[in-house]
Amino acid sequence: MSEDKREMVDEQDDGQVKESRRDFLKKMGVAAAATAAAPAATAKAVSIAEALQGHFELMSDEQKQKAIARLEERYSEQFSKQTTVANTPAPDGVLFGYALNISKCIGCRRCVEACVRENNQSRDPAIQWIRVLRMEKGNVTFDAKDLNAGKPSSSSLGDHGIQSGGHAGKPVGISGYTDHYYEPEQVPEDNAFYFPVQCQQCEKPACVKACPVRATYRDPNGIVVIDYNWCIGCRMCQLACPYWARRFNWGEPVLPSEEMNPKTHYLGNRPRPRGVMEKCTFCLQRVRDGRYPACVEACPVGARKFGNLLDPESEVRKVLATKQVFRFKEEFNTDPKFFYYMD
Amino acid sequence: MSNYMRAGVFYGLFVLLAGGVMLQNEATAEEGKSDAAPAQDKAGAASVECYESIKDSTNLTKVENANPKFGYPNVKCSPTTGAVLWYGDPYTDTVPMGEMPKFGDETDGDFAQAVIRSRTKHFKTTMQCSGCHPGTAQAAAPPNEPRQLQMHQDIISDASKLQHGRGAIWCLDCHNAANRDTLVDRRKNEVSFDESYKLCGSCHGDTYSKWRIGLHGKRTGEWKVGGKKRWWTCTECHNPHTIQEHRFNPVKPEPPPALPRGMSSSETSSKHE
Repeated sequence: MSEDKREMVDEQDDGQVKESRRDFLKKMGVAAAATAAAPAATAKAVSIAEALQGHFELMSDEQKQKAIARLEERYSEQFSKQTTVANTPAPDGVLFGYALNISKCIGCRRCVEACVRENNQSRDPAIQWIRVLRMEKGNVTFDAKDLNAGKPSSSSLGDHGIQSGGHAGKPVGISGYTDHYYEPEQVPEDNAFYFPVQCQQCEKPACVKACPVRATYRDPNGIVVIDYNWCIGCRMCQLACPYWARRFNWGEPVLPSEEMNPKTHYLGNRPRPRGVMEKCTFCLQRVRDGRYPACVEACPVGARKFGNLLDPESEVRKVLATKQVFRFKEEFNTDPKFFYYMD
Repeated sequence: MSNYMRAGVFYGLFVLLAGGVMLQNEATAEEGKSDAAPAQDKAGAASVECYESIKDSTNLTKVENANPKFGYPNVKCSPTTGAVLWYGDPYTDTVPMGEMPKFGDETDGDFAQAVIRSRTKHFKTTMQCSGCHPGTAQAAAPPNEPRQLQMHQDIISDASKLQHGRGAIWCLDCHNAANRDTLVDRRKNEVSFDESYKLCGSCHGDTYSKWRIGLHGKRTGEWKVGGKKRWWTCTECHNPHTIQEHRFNPVKPEPPPALPRGMSSSETSSKHE
């Protein structure tokens, strides 16, 4: 009764007959079943078959082919250009490793931008897989003043208070400030060095242990990959990662068609939907084809080295053999295959 | 004032004294090497100049649709700084590196598939050094005393204070007085501008051998040992005229990432002291 009245009101207001709410809800019910996961904005909706497909590693070759064909069709329509989704297998006898010379890095952020162009990250909200930290030289101090920062003032217990000093904004022993958002006229700056951080491709990855559905796993070359279709978006891996290497698609990714890289790999840089995790894959779509990762090619000072850790002649192995090398947050026993070194 | 104008007019004639500085500005002319360089004939009217490591020096022309299969340009450049960020074709505008001396030990590099970007290839289409410096007068009695130059202030603001080698060496220790289109090493061997590593390596031998094995410097192309790689030569990253002031020419950085929502300044976390 009241519904009929409202219908009449609607009609009077716009001078047009609207469909009744009951009809509308009926149609919605049917549509919802068909396009459960479809984002409204995309040209071609995710098909039921894609929404129901299995884990990539457990699919048969035929199923993989079908899944890839579905994706290629959807991406090609969505971005209005011919898009390939490769399934290039991992090469044999290869363990990928990376080395970065922090005494050379000038902090120009070209690696960050190259990565965004190669790997089809969302431009808005902007997702970047590499973060360059600007550290002040003399960042770590053993000065008593800094070591005592944040300590409670002396009490009847003496000067050795309970709190060990420092806080999240300024950890103990850190005299300088680590800046993610530096923007000088020119780099390198005096009194600063730069420390780019990206996925460390751990041999014992905490993120893989944390994933409840094994959507993220280590591939035969040691690269930790994500099946974006299998990811449920719980973000456990993001919490587990000690390197802040993983990025979550909180919003619907916006990727302009003209900036989209149409040469993709299923486990690499294919466009991601909302609600899944993503991260650096050493440019899996490139390195499985033999190319250097995009960040290596972009670095204007040659601070980045990449190669096969199993080949003693590779650049990375030569760095390990001759330079002063360290791993980031070694104490976590994650065994990264990303090495930092100095001249 | 007239000095300034003259410098402008003759700028093109003197850039070659830039020793280490690359000059590849022109968007013209494909001189052979069609296999190494991508289809430059497709370069439209709106050609974009980007730079690799050194601004205004190691320039590269963006070619749209250099890879028709994927619709790639040969390079993608930064809209804010003009720097080359991404290579669709890592071998764009390169030539084979050619013969390298054998070391016969573990520092022997793998040069079979090495390519480099050639400077001399572009000299043919721009003004050559020898156009102004025929080399006859100087070859007889080369001036070997540091002095203020009348020209080339864009390369070295005060040549009498050249600090390469902390003042121990002078222009003509590297530039060939007899043939200004070439360089010359300490043993008076002529060295092509393409092979700066042979000249630089005659003093910086340690760095040179590290460069040969891939420890120093930059490679692009294939990561496999022995794969086709573009080797970046010394002067593509370092400017030998200003090397004492800074190892790399300072550049403008790419823009910083967006601040987290609700954060007005990156300084916020440090304010909790």
